[in-house]
Amino acid sequence: MRRWTVRTHLAGLVALAAATCARGERAPAAGPAVIDDAHRRVTLAVPARRIVSLLPSFTEMLFAIGAGDRLVGRTAWCDYPPAALAVPSVGDGIPPNVEAVAARRPDLVVLYRSGPNVTAAEQLERLGVRTVLFDLNRLEELGSVARRLGVLTGHRAAADSLARAMDSLVSQGPESPTPNPKSLAFIVWDNPPIVIGAGSFLDRLAGLAGAHNVFHDIATPSAQVSIETIAARNPDFIAVLSDTAAPPRYAGRPEWRVVPAVRKGRFLVLPGGLFGRPGPRAAEAVRELRRRLETTP
Amino acid sequence: MDRGLIVALRGVTCRYPDAARDSLVGVSLELRAGELHAVLGPNGSGKTTLVRAALGLVPLVAGEVEILGRPAHTWSRRDLARVVGVLPQREDNLFPQRVRETVLLGRYPHLSLLGGVGAADRAALERALVACDAAALADRWLWTLSGGEYQRVRLARALAQEPRLLVLDEPTASLDLRHEMELFELVRTQVDAHGLGALLITHHVNLAARFADQVLILAEGRAVARGAPADVLTRETAAAVFEWPVVISAFEGRPQMIPLRKKEDHQ
Amino acid sequence: MKYLVLAGAALATLAAALLVGPANLPLADLASSPIVWQLRLPRAVLAFLVGGALGVAGTSLQALVRNPLADPFLLGLSGGAGLGAVAAIALHLPGPWALPLAAFVGAVGAMALVYRLGLVGGGELDPRILLLGGVAVGALAGAITTAIVSLAEATELRNAFLWLWGGFSGASWTTVLVMLAYAPLPLGVLIAAARPLDLLALGEEPAQYLGADVRRLKRVVYLAASLLTAAAVAVAGVIGFVGLVVPHVCRLLWGRLHRTLLPTAFLTGGVLLAAADTLARTVVAPRELPVGIVTALLGVPVFAFLLRRWTVG
Repeated sequence: MRRWTVRTHLAGLVALAAATCARGERAPAAGPAVIDDAHRRVTLAVPARRIVSLLPSFTEMLFAIGAGDRLVGRTAWCDYPPAALAVPSVGDGIPPNVEAVAARRPDLVVLYRSGPNVTAAEQLERLGVRTVLFDLNRLEELGSVARRLGVLTGHRAAADSLARAMDSLVSQGPESPTPNPKSLAFIVWDNPPIVIGAGSFLDRLAGLAGAHNVFHDIATPSAQVSIETIAARNPDFIAVLSDTAAPPRYAGRPEWRVVPAVRKGRFLVLPGGLFGRPGPRAAEAVRELRRRLETTP
Repeated sequence: MDRGLIVALRGVTCRYPDAARDSLVGVSLELRAGELHAVLGPNGSGKTTLVRAALGLVPLVAGEVEILGRPAHTWSRRDLARVVGVLPQREDNLFPQRVRETVLLGRYPHLSLLGGVGAADRAALERALVACDAAALADRWLWTLSGGEYQRVRLARALAQEPRLLVLDEPTASLDLRHEMELFELVRTQVDAHGLGALLITHHVNLAARFADQVLILAEGRAVARGAPADVLTRETAAAVFEWPVVISAFEGRPQMIPLRKKEDHQ
Repeated sequence: MKYLVLAGAALATLAAALLVGPANLPLADLASSPIVWQLRLPRAVLAFLVGGALGVAGTSLQALVRNPLADPFLLGLSGGAGLGAVAAIALHLPGPWALPLAAFVGAVGAMALVYRLGLVGGGELDPRILLLGGVAVGALAGAITTAIVSLAEATELRNAFLWLWGGFSGASWTTVLVMLAYAPLPLGVLIAAARPLDLLALGEEPAQYLGADVRRLKRVVYLAASLLTAAAVAVAGVIGFVGLVVPHVCRLLWGRLHRTLLPTAFLTGGVLLAAADTLARTVVAPRELPVGIVTALLGVPVFAFLLRRWTVG
């Protein structure tokens, strides 16, 4: 049995090496390699030393796994941890300024996989810069991204432990089951009213914090609904993403006050940095949301 | 004040905005009740411009126009529409409509803003249709009419305005002989029976000579001759204006113009 | 007889708009429910008013430019409104009225520009140039809008476009009152121009000979119809096809005399838009479709049918 296993593994490795050589890859098979979310095989000669990160969550993650000192470029939005502010900015990243990025002479650029970013990645590859594209729309993807960043930077141990923490956060239910689960609705725009559905990580965050998203039945990340629908589903809280503490501007309008939560002023104002996108501080976000749910009258 | 004088042009010179030259130069005309004047001339001689100038649509450079004794520019469009009925050369028909509806448009100058269509209006409409032998067409759709029928309907609309003056700009341009004669007869009847004045622009020199009391010949914006057909329509004048050799022959006391073929029929 | 049917349809549509909705209210509670009074009723009334305004504006504009395929949004107003809305969001203008006001200002700006383009020698407005000018101004506004969208932050602007696609989600008694205070003047002006508009269908020269002051008429109709449309856009975004299709439906049923056509176009437009809004709220519940999409989906087959009738007849 063991001889058969060894032989199979050996055969597999030989086949893989043959396949790799047959495709004529530039980099030797020994360097770090991952498959990114654009189904590309990304290989480096040595672990990345000059990294440009084009998403705040990636910046956070790189610092969290101890690779922060390798960063040579970030977007203007990357403001956490505070040390990130010392890294030069290459613009707001929407879409990425290819020249500014290339000017930092990176050996790896980490991008969020969106249409314009795929195009930017192709342009960077043509300039000889290695790029890696990751999906990061759901909490479940955090672990996988962390692991792969660990491979590319050589910080595998720290990355794997971060990934385990992310995975366990997502796989377990709320820390302690809540006796009366509160309900909420995330409202991101008022005219027309746009709410968050089950396809979004915010819905998952709410669930982990022991709350119920009244629009959990909508499969997409966001959807347009009517004020009446929100009123009919009567969430206990209205969650808004905002960095100012003030209640949203529609709170005073008579037609919105038909929604009981608006009338009673039961708003959860969640800061964008922590709640805007899945990131390594997801556990902290869950705790913060839970705290607010319990303490807001 | 000449009570019978309906429209008078005195030395009228006018020019279209942004035009290089004057379209009419020093043209005069006096039309009285019960008279049918014909305006003749080659293409581009200013016949349509004469109508527009008489009705205040083209600014005057010199001269004056009076309608019923008042200067033309003092008339509002609405008041003018109550005394002058015009059949322009072209007219659009954007949406399908019936004959009765389009003739009713002739009553609009008489309708007040808030008021509706009254019995007097309907009576005038009926009279106009009967006068133009179009009563049987009243409920037909316009687009089903023949050319001759359509012109009669337009004339009925003008008559529904109950005007003192009829102005017709080449009304028989695409009509066959029968319809052309019918239209000229219609206009002549209205002029004779009701004391209307009529100003008729036409290419048909011979019919103009037969039906008109006075003829005005224009060439390049100028009046070449003005007066009774027999006095005005001479061989020299016609040949010069129309740039074609003709002979004049009399018929029922009226001159008739016969164009010659080149290289034949000479003297 | 037909008028009774129209009045009946209006009442039925309003009733449906009040009765139907995600809140599943029992009939007994309807009269006292804040959902009905604060949400469904103002929304239904506003949809009716906007539909009516677009119907009348469309009818008048088709008569003005003498083109049966004219739509109020052909004159660059939607482009101007879109530009205003996007600019308001990109500049983070404060207050709940920033968006509608900016859209209104944008639409009126486009109107003024097209008007200026349409003035040919001697202060005369040329309706053919109005159409071409409208397309040009709309394209220009669209280009500037795209530039702003590409330079500014992406997510909020996406929501601006959802607003622009038309919807009554923001309906409130305040918006209804604003429309009620604003609309009667341009509506009155257009209805007073009903008979001159009948004459204008013959052509500008024949209309003048029948007593219409065509110069003044063109200006007044253009301004009144554009102002009505600008208000509709400011309140409800761009809702196409209503202004195009309603005049034709009404002409088929009531003839082409504007004294009857304009009021019936108002009612028909109101019924159509209120019904479309009810559909937009219910077909994909709990989600909502933008009303502009519903009117386009309903309007295209109707438009195709009318087009066939036009070219065959």
